[in-house]
Amino acid sequence: MDRIAEHPILGNSPEGKMVTFTFDGKELSGYEGEPIAVALRVNGVMVHRYTAKRHEPRGVFCAIGRCTDCVMIVDGVPNVRTCITPLKAGMKVETQYGVTGKEGAL
Amino acid sequence: MKIEHKELIVVGAGPAGLSAAIEAAKSGVKAIVFDENSKPGGQLFKQIHKFFGSKEHKAKIRGFKIGQDLLQEAEKLGVEVVLNATVVGLYPEKEIIVKIGGEVIHYKADAVLIATGASENMVNFRGWTLPGVIGAGAAQTMMNLHHIKPGNRVFMLGTGNVGLVVSSQLLQAGCEVVALADAAPKIGGYGVHASKVARTGVPFYLSHTIKEVEGEDHVTGVTIAQVDEHFQFIPGTEKHFAVDTICVAVGLSPMAQLLKMDGIVMDDTKGRTVPKCDRTGATSIPGIYAAGDVAGIEEASSAMIEGRMSGSAIAAYLGYLSSDSSEHRVDTLENSLSSLRQGMFAPENRGKKIETTEEGIAISQNLLKAGFVTDDEITRFPGFRKEMKVHPVLECTQNIPCNPCQSACAKGCISIGEHMTSLPISVDGSTCVNCGMCVASCSGQAIFLVAEETRAGFGEVTIPYEFLPLPAEGDGGFALGRDGKKLCETTITRVRTSKAYDGTALVTMEVPTEYIDKARFYKKIG
Ligand SMILES: Cc1cc2nc3c(=O)[nH]c(=O)nc-3n(C[C@H](O)[C@H](O)[C@H](O)COP(=O)(O)OP(=O)(O)OC[C@H]3O[C@@H](n4cnc5c(N)ncnc54)[C@H](O)[C@@H]3O)c2cc1C
Ligand code: SF4
Ligand code: SF4
Ligand code: FES
Repeated sequence: MDRIAEHPILGNSPEGKMVTFTFDGKELSGYEGEPIAVALRVNGVMVHRYTAKRHEPRGVFCAIGRCTDCVMIVDGVPNVRTCITPLKAGMKVETQYGVTGKEGAL
Repeated sequence: MKIEHKELIVVGAGPAGLSAAIEAAKSGVKAIVFDENSKPGGQLFKQIHKFFGSKEHKAKIRGFKIGQDLLQEAEKLGVEVVLNATVVGLYPEKEIIVKIGGEVIHYKADAVLIATGASENMVNFRGWTLPGVIGAGAAQTMMNLHHIKPGNRVFMLGTGNVGLVVSSQLLQAGCEVVALADAAPKIGGYGVHASKVARTGVPFYLSHTIKEVEGEDHVTGVTIAQVDEHFQFIPGTEKHFAVDTICVAVGLSPMAQLLKMDGIVMDDTKGRTVPKCDRTGATSIPGIYAAGDVAGIEEASSAMIEGRMSGSAIAAYLGYLSSDSSEHRVDTLENSLSSLRQGMFAPENRGKKIETTEEGIAISQNLLKAGFVTDDEITRFPGFRKEMKVHPVLECTQNIPCNPCQSACAKGCISIGEHMTSLPISVDGSTCVNCGMCVASCSGQAIFLVAEETRAGFGEVTIPYEFLPLPAEGDGGFALGRDGKKLCETTITRVRTSKAYDGTALVTMEVPTEYIDKARFYKKIG
């Protein structure tokens, strides 16, 4: 999804500092400090995790840290709510499988 | 464990919580406000439209601006606002557990106000967990706080005020809204909000709901179908839309877990759980209060007044204010609150079938089903008037608590009268000077300036416009009707922006006289 460059009411979007991070090993970029989930969405990433039993995809639902649908493995730590966790340069973001994390851990 | 002591702890820095802390601090109470968000203001910062109400309710000011003002006032009064602080426990004796970062802190207060707001409801349909299905609040958060489009092609489920407002915000953000649907037989929110969306050409499907959302690992389409009066699908009525995002706006529920945890007496009667409180929000436990959406879903304007009422009562409870002065203050606030709780959408009218306005005019049925008043219906309302010279046409046809249009006009062209819910009247014989203030001050974007004839065979219509790119003088395009359908070709003759208009541009288009009462939106060619 695109960023909104200019908004009729909110004006120009604030320019942040572009940083790079990795998603499942791929290098992507986003603004430092914006939620990880926002940077991912701009890069077209919709699936954040797969459920344990039925291997169903999940992505952002509430965007305010309540539903836990958006959790991923961030810098090795599973179950991080990416919609409220700020992006930092060099972060390692990975799709989460089940509750423990790694692919194949189901 | 060490326990920190505080005079007043407020949980939630939304409009209710901040207002309560401000009101109490004015009498000298030392207040601390916790909010789990990284930004204060609750729902207010996502609301970029102008508010309804009257001046005392901060009408015609945009929600996020109201939030900034509240924060400033709180700061000036020495209210401490702690962010990223989740309150996880409330125990008898007014003890509170707060998680701040990785730390768990234990507080004890003399008084506590719970103003935790509401959470969004969800409905089940096939595919509802697919990435791309999001809450309406999430859409607002993405576009208005983080400046990204939630989706490119969006389907909206729900036509209450949240569904309508978020749909127009999606359009403002540059997303395409393909349709709105609601299982109910009529649009639940304000007609003026629906009309803003309808005139851009977005269709409404009432008595319809989602049958299935398609997609492998994210949404690629949705199928809706009509439902009968028992909410059962009617076979053969399916409609399909290719979309990448489904936005769900099917209502809010009070977030009352903390109150329940504390053993406060709850009221389950109206199908929702809210604390039993008196008018100041005092619960069954002395010193514990509740205000805003957590005490019953309403809106930001009422949440702010409720917060102030609680704040005043708390100041008296803590001995900073005599109970007489507090009672007096609460009386005044209650009057202001009850003026907001009137009209067709008043709490006591929920679920009632209303056929006529307070003035005895048959309401527009098309507005309830398709989101716009038809060309035939509009002429029976007092905001509609014909005159050669420029004059206001007020397409506001439901009794809602709102009146900024009346005070916007210094020339007396618009009259609502004493009663805030009365329909606005375009006053016969008044002289409009075409200043545009009424158009810009109307929260519902329901005011148009019409000049029937500016040259032989042609007249001009001025519309409120909150989209980008802004048209320029001389641009050609199409004039659209209230239904969003093309009427005729048009030329833009004037575009006005001004600080006084607060973000609303006034766009004037020239149309053949026969379309003067029909043309209500503009679309560029191409
Ligand atoms: C899309 C949309 C459009 C709306 N349009 C209008 C409108 O036009 N006019 C109008 O008047 N109203 C409108 N409203 C309604 C209005 O936003 C709410 O009624 C109002 O914000 C309620 O205020 P509140 O203070 O009770 O709750 P909120 O604004 O929800 O604030 C509650 C705060 O509490 C915090 N919190 C919750 N739990 C905890 C916890 N355990 N620990 C710490 N903090 C916690 C939350 O983070 C939040 O900041 C709209 C709402 C929505 C969603
Ligand atoms: S344009 Fe100005 S003078 Fe005319 S009705 Fe509106 S506010 Fe009044
Ligand atoms: S016409 Fe007046 S009463 Fe109606 S929405 Fe606009 S400002 Fe409010
Ligand atoms: S999307 Fe709900 S917690 Fe992140």
